[in-house]
Amino acid sequence: MKLVLERFLHNALALLAVITILFFMFRLMPGSPLAAFINDNLNEDQQQAMLAQFGLDKPMWQQYLIYLANLAHGEMGLSFFQRRPVTEILLEVLPNSLILTLSSLIVAYVFGVLAGAWLAWKRGSWIERAAVPVVLATRAAPEFWIGMVLLALLSFKLGWFPSGGASSPGEAYTSNWQRIFSLDYLHHLALPVITLALYLQGLPLLLMRSNMLEVMHEEFVTMARMKGLSEWRIVIGHAARNALLPVVTAFALGVGLSMGGNVVIETVFSWPGIGRMLVQAVSVHDYPLAQGAFLMIAAILAIMNFVADLLYMTLDPRVSHGRAG
Amino acid sequence: MAERAEERGAIPAPLPIRRGWRLSPPLRRLLTMPLRDPFAFAGIVIYLAFLLVALFADQLATTDPTEILFLSTGKVAANMPPGAEYPLGTTNLGRDIYAQLVHGTESALAVGLTAALIVALVGTVVGLIAGYFGGWIDALLMRIADMALSLPFLPFVIVLIGFLGPDTSNVVLAVVLLLWPNSARVIRAQVLSLRERAYVEAARVTGASPVRILFVHIAPNILPLSFVYAAIAIGWAIITEASVSFLGFGDPDNISWGMMLQDAFASQALSRGQYAWFVPPGVCIILIVVAGFFISRGYEEVFMPRLRR
Amino acid sequence: MMLSVEDLQIHYATRDGTVRAVDGATFAVPEGRIVGLVGESGCGKTTAVRAIMGVLAENGRRAGGQVRFKDQPIDAKATRPLLWREIAYVPQSAMSSLDPVYTVGAQIEEVLLKRGGASRAEAKARAAELFELVGLSDRRLRDYPHQFSGGMRQRAAIAMALALEPSLLLADEPVTALDVIVQRQILDMLRSLQQRLKLSMVMVTHDISVVAYLCDEVVVMYAGQVVESGPVREVLGRPRHPYTMGLRNAFPDLLSDAMELVPIHGSPPDLRQTLTGCRFAPRCPFVQPACTAGTLDADVANDHLTVCRRSAQADGLRTAALDPNTWLSSQSAMS
Repeated sequence: MKLVLERFLHNALALLAVITILFFMFRLMPGSPLAAFINDNLNEDQQQAMLAQFGLDKPMWQQYLIYLANLAHGEMGLSFFQRRPVTEILLEVLPNSLILTLSSLIVAYVFGVLAGAWLAWKRGSWIERAAVPVVLATRAAPEFWIGMVLLALLSFKLGWFPSGGASSPGEAYTSNWQRIFSLDYLHHLALPVITLALYLQGLPLLLMRSNMLEVMHEEFVTMARMKGLSEWRIVIGHAARNALLPVVTAFALGVGLSMGGNVVIETVFSWPGIGRMLVQAVSVHDYPLAQGAFLMIAAILAIMNFVADLLYMTLDPRVSHGRAG
Repeated sequence: MAERAEERGAIPAPLPIRRGWRLSPPLRRLLTMPLRDPFAFAGIVIYLAFLLVALFADQLATTDPTEILFLSTGKVAANMPPGAEYPLGTTNLGRDIYAQLVHGTESALAVGLTAALIVALVGTVVGLIAGYFGGWIDALLMRIADMALSLPFLPFVIVLIGFLGPDTSNVVLAVVLLLWPNSARVIRAQVLSLRERAYVEAARVTGASPVRILFVHIAPNILPLSFVYAAIAIGWAIITEASVSFLGFGDPDNISWGMMLQDAFASQALSRGQYAWFVPPGVCIILIVVAGFFISRGYEEVFMPRLRR
Repeated sequence: MMLSVEDLQIHYATRDGTVRAVDGATFAVPEGRIVGLVGESGCGKTTAVRAIMGVLAENGRRAGGQVRFKDQPIDAKATRPLLWREIAYVPQSAMSSLDPVYTVGAQIEEVLLKRGGASRAEAKARAAELFELVGLSDRRLRDYPHQFSGGMRQRAAIAMALALEPSLLLADEPVTALDVIVQRQILDMLRSLQQRLKLSMVMVTHDISVVAYLCDEVVVMYAGQVVESGPVREVLGRPRHPYTMGLRNAFPDLLSDAMELVPIHGSPPDLRQTLTGCRFAPRCPFVQPACTAGTLDADVANDHLTVCRRSAQADGLRTAALDPNTWLSSQSAMS
């Protein structure tokens, strides 16, 4: 329990640090100090509201506290160009990013774990020796480039998949849930997920393979052999079970890291997610929106880091069940 | 385990630690490693090849990559397919793709090597100081490292570029700011273990200054690790620059592979199937980054040899 | 004979050549007896035992000789049905031999279910029974390996080894990692278990005092070969091989206090080389030119086997071996 609290604090403080860095970064920008939240695009009333809400006429330290308080309420200001609350805009696109990330990671990890374990079993064969450099090559390719190639081949040339966006024009849905599970949405989701999964599978594959190779040489695996247990039981029940621990943790971390990296994928496929929102906001200097998008990504990263810590603590009996002597 | 290894008669000796730099085994291993690892060797060859291309870019590609080319008819030589005159064809605006690819090497290597060098330097120095001195210095440095690691990588680079401007040096700055903690942490751990060794104690007792101990006794044994992270950092920096350029935040005066990809994407090269335009830059990036992986893997073997390889 | 090993040869293929870890070892385990297999690290004792269990490393293979269990020859394939049901293994370190992510109870039940054909309920009951046998509370079945202390872990490992009521127990340095007091407890427990359950045991150890305390017979190995074997009292009381004489001097006695530790200087030969003559010759204080040539024959008298050219003069050599100076001068002779 103490460990849980400690990890929570650690990640919360990290997030606080990020928030603070962001606070100062956006205030050191060219333009007036108010530029972080006020812009001529907003009408008079909106400008006044922002001034009051964020205390933009008050001293810096007070602004900081107000800023934190506002964040706690999910209040991130008004988008200059869309002239509506940043929070609202972001919550609209958040599901798209989450679905993209989670689907891709699940596909990548399921494939990676199975392939990695299989490669470990095939140790020494030419397949294994050829596979590792190939997998490294997938990790060496920029995600967006893989996306571009697949787009050109599978979408433009073969017409199997749509070339962008999350839905075809003219489609109407009664609710968000219905939209997300519609065939049209999934059809649009397919290519981005394939691209991302192709890029992401390298890590779990190499990790699982490496873990399996190590675990297979552990004394308790030899012991299982001496007991005469079946190969299946040894490899899956004992070796894989131990080898999977770090992979599960990596999955949780991967969600956090991927949210940031998806920026490029979302751009290639015009996928309406937070990453794409961030890029657009930065290019037009829509500071509140840019801040909000960045913060949301950072928050997810911090949350997933904490989840990873929790997973590691609960799944490894050496940590969850302390020393009882 | 130990008995099994002994009975095989092949106990790998722990990395012998020597004092000082001259003929120190870790340094010797640094230089000879590629000769034993074919992949690392291939990696070095690739690096050298790209280095030569960058150095002789003007000789290899005589056309100016930014020059708009015209046909004899007076029209812009736009979207020409690969041919004798233009090995990879031309862009939407009539620029020589091959020339861009060749000159892009200069930018890639410049960014990659600069970033790698600074990351390795900063990471090593921080790791050395934090590991050796410990106490509040260590705590402070590691807290800062944690903060750097909790920033989402690409979004941070984008925001930074958005503010500071699309200059390549800003890309390098962003990469350095976010990548140094990885190497710093590992090097710090290594220093912590080295610190306890007898010869360091001896040096301390005989009154050697901390600086001398750090740089004369400890650093040579840390160097392979720095190389590992430097090799990885090159690839990471190149991919980051490419991503940033692709998103439109690239340095407009700089012909880079990322910029080529962005250009291709924006000019609908995908729908036109102009593979010669957007495939080569990606392949180049893959080659350089993979070379970095192979080299760093090779050095990992040197520094942390596995019994069963 | 419960177990009989004849001229066993185990080779490992390494980058630097073939290591002949066991190069012609012959010994036997009579029914219901405890045989100590003693020698220094690298002498081949652990390799021999693991070869019998059929779990050699990837680069290892049985290159010759024969192993018989209950007079039936066994090899890697034939061993499989016998594993754990007839021949069980007690490891040196229970911590690394137990899967850290399963409870100890689950691991015992696993072998009962999968190899013993027991039902869930039967397995649970038997596991509790086994724990009781080794003096552990059955509540601890629910604990994970890391939650046990060293001594208790070894007890658990022994309990697990006895799960399917084997006839032969191969114990690989089961008490080496424990402190002396716990060592004695475990050894006592092993002896009582052996008597109750009528087990035959092979006790691999490098500690000759453990052999003196527990074993009925002893086999001394050096550089992959057996150099001396026989009843414990005979071999330890009247050793006839210089190596055994040196070993005796090198260990504090569990029972007596007055002992001067006299190490045997030098190290065993490189097993990748072809070796002729007596392998202990380079370190032997009684070496003679004849010792380094040819193959040596075993000299057997009353079940006491010795492989030494000078075994006829053993009594005289033995007296000289008691004097520390004999070994010191052999050290200076070597350097």
